[in-house]
Amino acid sequence: MYGLGKIFRHEMLKIAKEKTLLFGFLVLPVITLFLTVGMTMLTPMDQEEAEEYRMYFHGISIESYNIGTMEDKEIWIVPVAEDPQVFMKSDDFHHYDVMVDFSDIRDVKIYYYESNSVSCYLKMSAESFVRKTYEELYKGMNRNVAFREVFVEDIKKEDDSNRMIAMLLPYMLVLPLTANIANLAGDTVAGDKARGTFYQVMLSPIPPLSLIMAKILSVSVISIVSSAIYIGMDVAGSRICKAVGVRDAFGFADVSITVPQLLLILLYAVLLCYLFSNIGVLISLFCKDTSQAQTAQIPMTLLCTIASIMSMFRFGISPASHYMIPVYNICLIFQDLLNSRAKMSNMLLVAVSLLIPAVLVLLATLLSYKSERVRT
Amino acid sequence: MITISHLRKTFKNNKVEAVKDVSLTINDGEIFALLGPNGAGKTTTMRMVSTLLAPTSGTILFDGKEADPGDPKLRRRIAFLTNEIRLDGQFTPDELADYYGHLYEMTPEQIKEHRDKLFDYFGISEFRNRRYETFSTGMKQKTSLAICLLHDPDTIIFDEPTNGLDILTQHLIESYLVKLKEEGKCIILSTHILDLVSRLADRVGIIVDGKSVFCGTVEELPKSRNVSTVEEAFLELYKENHEEKAIIEK
Repeated sequence: MYGLGKIFRHEMLKIAKEKTLLFGFLVLPVITLFLTVGMTMLTPMDQEEAEEYRMYFHGISIESYNIGTMEDKEIWIVPVAEDPQVFMKSDDFHHYDVMVDFSDIRDVKIYYYESNSVSCYLKMSAESFVRKTYEELYKGMNRNVAFREVFVEDIKKEDDSNRMIAMLLPYMLVLPLTANIANLAGDTVAGDKARGTFYQVMLSPIPPLSLIMAKILSVSVISIVSSAIYIGMDVAGSRICKAVGVRDAFGFADVSITVPQLLLILLYAVLLCYLFSNIGVLISLFCKDTSQAQTAQIPMTLLCTIASIMSMFRFGISPASHYMIPVYNICLIFQDLLNSRAKMSNMLLVAVSLLIPAVLVLLATLLSYKSERVRT
Repeated sequence: MITISHLRKTFKNNKVEAVKDVSLTINDGEIFALLGPNGAGKTTTMRMVSTLLAPTSGTILFDGKEADPGDPKLRRRIAFLTNEIRLDGQFTPDELADYYGHLYEMTPEQIKEHRDKLFDYFGISEFRNRRYETFSTGMKQKTSLAICLLHDPDTIIFDEPTNGLDILTQHLIESYLVKLKEEGKCIILSTHILDLVSRLADRVGIIVDGKSVFCGTVEELPKSRNVSTVEEAFLELYKENHEEKAIIEK
């Protein structure tokens, strides 16, 4: 693709010379981030009132049953198949609840909230239950084994501010990003067509595909830079909060990301920005001016907005199929990462579900650039 | 030399037959004026000649060889300037010359030489470091023309190049067209200003309702209709061919 580099450089210079675009891509993310953080800090951290108390049991075959009442609320024993560490981070696990992990009979663990009288009571009941279970198990094995100490661990579930930021951050990233890309992509091709600059390059010996690809790449690069600023500022904010010992309203203080996860996140950034940019350029190829292109892109922006808003109303763990819905899945995985419950399988699903439309849109662009409507 | 034979163009998206049958010959070292009412198919014809659009049928020969729209060598020989074509407003004439020069694979030395010559002629040198968007209409058109001609094309297609320009700028552009003709370039000029045709053009082609109805010298045009001016001849030709179409439709 001869000339791609030259046009790309020209397009980047064009963006750099346009103050309104720079504001949208580079300044706006910083403003929205601080607005989000501010909103999180002002939100009171209230704890939900439980309808019943639960003792969750993992790794043991048990039926769900009621063992009594406390403070007019029923206490239930509930089996749970899911990994206790993941389950305890879900919305199903309440502040009063206790988790008993029987995965390893020689190392039973009981997790509960430290500063909670209800959970202390439940923990004691759980300990009695474990002791009884030990006795029954070892009696059957005809062994003279004494009761082993049960490891009891206090858990610190993320406070509501962290859940709040995890809910808001993806939405606040996706929304301005799609709007900015639609705006820029609309102007970069359809605007050039209206101004006449598009034909000037189309008439040069440069292959038209180089022109279109250079435009897609320039929009993608500025979008990636914009997203990097947003995430970078957020991570830096968390680090600063941690360093000065104040409550982290940025949500990243306790987030640990492995190298494969980091690589996948980078892949998402590239694919998502590329996908939005390519769709934007593809739509604007068939439009005569910027306003027509921006109007034509409203449905895409609207769909992305709805998808990101829907992610804010997510409760608990989402099924794997949800990680295949583009844009929505990005918000889900972002939330999962912030809540330290991201699964590698889901992360891979997200990558695949972004890669497939990216390839399809690229093919559509390759077929479309020869169209008469593009050239007239 | 450009030879256009039975050129036809139907747009697939709206099924409009913009050009029905156009046959013209344009020689090197001449200014060829393309005349026709609005919507006659002049711009579509010029877009096909400039390789921007592919014809539905018919042929366009450049020096006897059929034009291949994807051929970069052919594109390097053509310049197409319409009054719709503008340049990126954020850039200065110098930056634009560098960019377009590189697109046409010119060396920095070639760019500098051609740029300085054209900028001096059109009086742009003084404003070479100012943004294009800050220029007046005339200055913009002169800059577009200079950038368009930077790669020294031998076929130059102008779609109403002096529209909306002041007398001085019009005169400057007209003088440059004559200069290009004297250099042996092949110039196609589309305009509604019949006075400009009488003053500048060597030969004329007239398109009415997508069909070429005349192709000959400026002197031959009035004689062909037994009238005294180009304008009268044009109107006669238009009436004859447009009425004919109306009768067929009835």
